[in-house]
Amino acid sequence: MTHLVDRAASDGWISRLSRIRYRGRRVDWQAYLFILPFALIFIVITLLPIFFGIYISFNEWGIVGDPEWVGLDNFREAMQDDWIPKVWGNTFQMAGLVVPGTVLVALLMALWINREQWLSGPIRTAFYAPHVVAITVTAIIWIWIFEKETGLLNLALYGIGIPKQGWLTTSKWVIQSISLVTIWQAVGFHMVILLAGLKEIPAELGEAAVIDGASAWQAFWRITLPLLTPALGLVITLEIISAFRIFGQVYLMTGGGPGGHSATIVSYIYHEGFVRFRLGFAAALSLLLFLTILLFTLLRARLVREHSN
Amino acid sequence: MSNLSLSTLYNQTSLRFIRTFIIWLPGAVVALLWLFPLYWMLNTSVKPDRLIMAGVDLIPTEITWEHYRTVVADTPVIRWFVNSIVTSVCVVAGSLVLGSLTGFALARMHFPGRTVIFWLLISSLMIPPEMSIVPLFIGVLRLEVQDSFISLIIPPLASVFPVYLYRQFFLSFPRELEDAAAIDGCSRLGTFVRVALPLARPATLAGAILIFTSNWNSFLWPLLVAFKTEWKTLPVGMAFYTRLDIQGTSTQSGYGEAMAAVAIVALPTLIFFLILQRYFIEGVTQVGIKG
Repeated sequence: MTHLVDRAASDGWISRLSRIRYRGRRVDWQAYLFILPFALIFIVITLLPIFFGIYISFNEWGIVGDPEWVGLDNFREAMQDDWIPKVWGNTFQMAGLVVPGTVLVALLMALWINREQWLSGPIRTAFYAPHVVAITVTAIIWIWIFEKETGLLNLALYGIGIPKQGWLTTSKWVIQSISLVTIWQAVGFHMVILLAGLKEIPAELGEAAVIDGASAWQAFWRITLPLLTPALGLVITLEIISAFRIFGQVYLMTGGGPGGHSATIVSYIYHEGFVRFRLGFAAALSLLLFLTILLFTLLRARLVREHSN
Repeated sequence: MSNLSLSTLYNQTSLRFIRTFIIWLPGAVVALLWLFPLYWMLNTSVKPDRLIMAGVDLIPTEITWEHYRTVVADTPVIRWFVNSIVTSVCVVAGSLVLGSLTGFALARMHFPGRTVIFWLLISSLMIPPEMSIVPLFIGVLRLEVQDSFISLIIPPLASVFPVYLYRQFFLSFPRELEDAAAIDGCSRLGTFVRVALPLARPATLAGAILIFTSNWNSFLWPLLVAFKTEWKTLPVGMAFYTRLDIQGTSTQSGYGEAMAAVAIVALPTLIFFLILQRYFIEGVTQVGIKG
């Protein structure tokens, strides 16, 4: 009797669901409940806005009044806008300094810390510290250091006979100055990623090579660097993305000046979208920014693949 | 004979010492240079104006708290501080709950779509957040939630980082743990709450620290959604002090205050970092390597 009742109950839809298999194993239906809360937020905050953003870029969209469909006008305007080559050029120049600078300094720091010498713990802390402060902090400290008359940098240079420079106020230096600040803040983070990569390389490998007669330099080029490629690839990708997105430094330190010489892509997006409230145009610019970043990260991946072949 | 070998030994030791020192020194010098701007911020913030203008004073000869008092009197710093704390704490708590649930499912549960969802999340990292900033801003205006905690807290919750962190962590768990929990009669949720979460404490700590700092320091989004002064976060509010030199006017009075202002923004995260740096480093390492 009881046997029959059990059979009947187990043919209910819940138990039928629980017997469904996917790739040979029972499906864990509860997983969807686990994922649901994050999925909702991700869809509303990230996924839908991306598509909505593409739609907005085909509209003339202000802060008041109704949006108006204008097709490719925003992109056409971008092609003719004098500011576009300028801000893209400035951003490329900064990325050209910041990406290699950060990666190189972070690599040297990681190699140095990895030797586990006297005080390497506190020194690692010192390298990382700038990364935990807000961009407002970084920007204002460096405005003070770069100050023309009594800023620390000019005083120090004046001491060794170099005339005072307007680091943030002349087109000659402004991009280099902002790049320096960016590198100062970013290296600690990348150093830690590279350090973790170095720790994965067995020490015996290098020792064996040195016993086989390789110099420390050869051991570095032939063993350490190739084995570090995954970590380096990650660091370079992250740096490319963040270099193309430089905004806070520029907004706070120069406002894009002097004469637009330090205006970057994102500071231009900010200006068009949130100062002039030309939201459609700003959305179009964001799409172009995404395509630029995509191009460079794909190029990077390609270069690494060719290098390792 | 023995004399000779002794002196060779001596020479070798001192040579090694010199070599070690030559490698050590540049690292130490660069570390001092790296810390110096932060030291200079604190140094300037406690010097009277007269000393700030007099030039370089590596160790202040006179200390004053005047600049801090002025900053507190001139700006709603307490309100900004509360905004920053409430936002960061809520984002940390929310992200950890969402991230651990999703990360657990992606790492330990078997269901169709698992791989697709994971790759969708990972590839979304390649899309700059600026892509969604215009639509989100329009959304905030339409819902009229600018100048509120809703607009400060909800968007950062969509970060993929905690999901990724927990997934990597849960992947390294031995299968037997869940089997044992299942035999003890634990449901999936029970296993998650009673077995997986307590064991994931390192990931939780690392995640909490990294999410807290990145939200405390976040700039562009809070700048956009705070129209009223009282809804600014600390970093956005203190941006007020950049007005000093941008226009090329060189009045040095004011730098003491500016440094005190940014020290107030920097000290919470710096102290937090100094105390918990082990977890900071572990967190970054986990993100970097296990991917």
